[in-house]
Amino acid sequence: MKHGLLTAWAIAQKDLRTELRTKESINAAASFSLVILVLFSFAFDLGREELYAISGGLLWLVYSFAGALIVNRGFAREIPNDCLDVLISSPAPGWAIFLGKAVAAFCLLIIVEMISLPVFGLFYNIRWTESFGSLAIVILLATWGITVVGTAFSAVTVNVRLRELMLPVLLYPILIPLLIGAMGTTTALLGGESMTGDNLSSLRLLIGFDLIYTSLALYLIDFVLVF
Amino acid sequence: MREKAVYLLGLLGALVMIFNLNTVFNKLPDEAMQGAVYRIIFIHVPAAINADIFYTVALITAILFLATKNFIWDSITVSCIEVGTMLILLNLVTGSIWGRNQWGIWWAWDLRMTSQLMCFLLYLGYLLIRPAIAEPTQRASLSSIVAIFAYADIPLVLMAIRLPNVRTQHPGPVLETGQMAPMFKAPFGIGILALFLIGTALVLVRMHQETSQREIDSLRRELHAA
Amino acid sequence: MDITNLTFLFYGYSAGWIIITAFVLSLVSRGRRIDRELARLKSLVEDREKS
Repeated sequence: MKHGLLTAWAIAQKDLRTELRTKESINAAASFSLVILVLFSFAFDLGREELYAISGGLLWLVYSFAGALIVNRGFAREIPNDCLDVLISSPAPGWAIFLGKAVAAFCLLIIVEMISLPVFGLFYNIRWTESFGSLAIVILLATWGITVVGTAFSAVTVNVRLRELMLPVLLYPILIPLLIGAMGTTTALLGGESMTGDNLSSLRLLIGFDLIYTSLALYLIDFVLVF
Repeated sequence: MREKAVYLLGLLGALVMIFNLNTVFNKLPDEAMQGAVYRIIFIHVPAAINADIFYTVALITAILFLATKNFIWDSITVSCIEVGTMLILLNLVTGSIWGRNQWGIWWAWDLRMTSQLMCFLLYLGYLLIRPAIAEPTQRASLSSIVAIFAYADIPLVLMAIRLPNVRTQHPGPVLETGQMAPMFKAPFGIGILALFLIGTALVLVRMHQETSQREIDSLRRELHAA
Repeated sequence: MDITNLTFLFYGYSAGWIIITAFVLSLVSRGRRIDRELARLKSLVEDREKS
């Protein structure tokens, strides 16, 4: 167990280091989310009230698009030079490889989100700093959900034809309940509500989603990597 | 022998269906509020219930495949998911037509409609990824995992759409509020049975095709190897 | 009896039968294709064994 966690940490470090040196997917995801934010501002011509009403939905659409871009690279990064085969045949347990990759994708997506959140506030004139504390909880939970399911599907689709197309087709329907919860709560928090009542039940949904899919993915990943 | 059993099952299902339709159309009176159109429910709801049954079978066989690596389980999984998705589509379309008549709109983001639509999308992913994987063992393993992931999402979807801060314009779930008059219960149950028999016959046909397909694959390999 | 209700009842059931029939037809056509392919491959294998 301890050995596995150390391995996972090593893999996460390795992925983060390569990514931060080359900045392949992080640049792509960050600029993509900025473009989407700009596009949305042309798509809707809205007053202040209405903007707050759709703010959560907007933010999470951007985040989930960026998330799909990032998790797509998760296992695909290991394809050149047969690195994936080496990883699988190494003594590292499958769940540790998966966990490492999920943690790396999580950190990358959080970075992208922290870049686009201020831009979002700026472009749409939305105050997010006051509710940032409770917003951060929602962002952390939902981002973990996106990355854990995304990384699992990135492992599923890594050897599949049309990988880049298949991943979103599988990923987004599964994410719907998570995104419903995250969007609703984010809208409420940005609108000045506190983390009580309805928002707490959304939070429970996010936690439930994370728990179910983290355990499912950790348990099933061996069947994905070694069939 | 096997084919005869399948035909017999399908025929039995069709007979039960015809018997039931006779009851529904000729014996049952019109409903007080809706007139004649309520009769759609006798195919609409059985389709949904049978889809749930087939999806549950698919979940069990997906787990069994991962545990045993026996391909028979995988062929049951894919057959059940295809038939289940067809039934969900049937459910959505008939429901939409009923809604156009009763609510005046084709689609309302009602709790049940939303959850059914999401089931449809989830399993559509399964049906799309399956042909994209070339190697048979890999195809079976990976798509079994997708089936398990999709099923695990259903309770979460049900939870999410009940969240109070989700704005849905829903006219109230039909079955949770209304009580069904006793004379409707029997045709309702028989309708479920009829679609179940027909669905099972279709699953068996599809399973056989999957077996033949595997035979084709192995013959091809044999030819290439020689 | 309201006439539009009958129309929609008709639409509903026809849509249902169309979906089921379309599914059955797709099954049948796929089954034919598979059977043909299987027969072709079997004869190929037999030819090869003879020669």
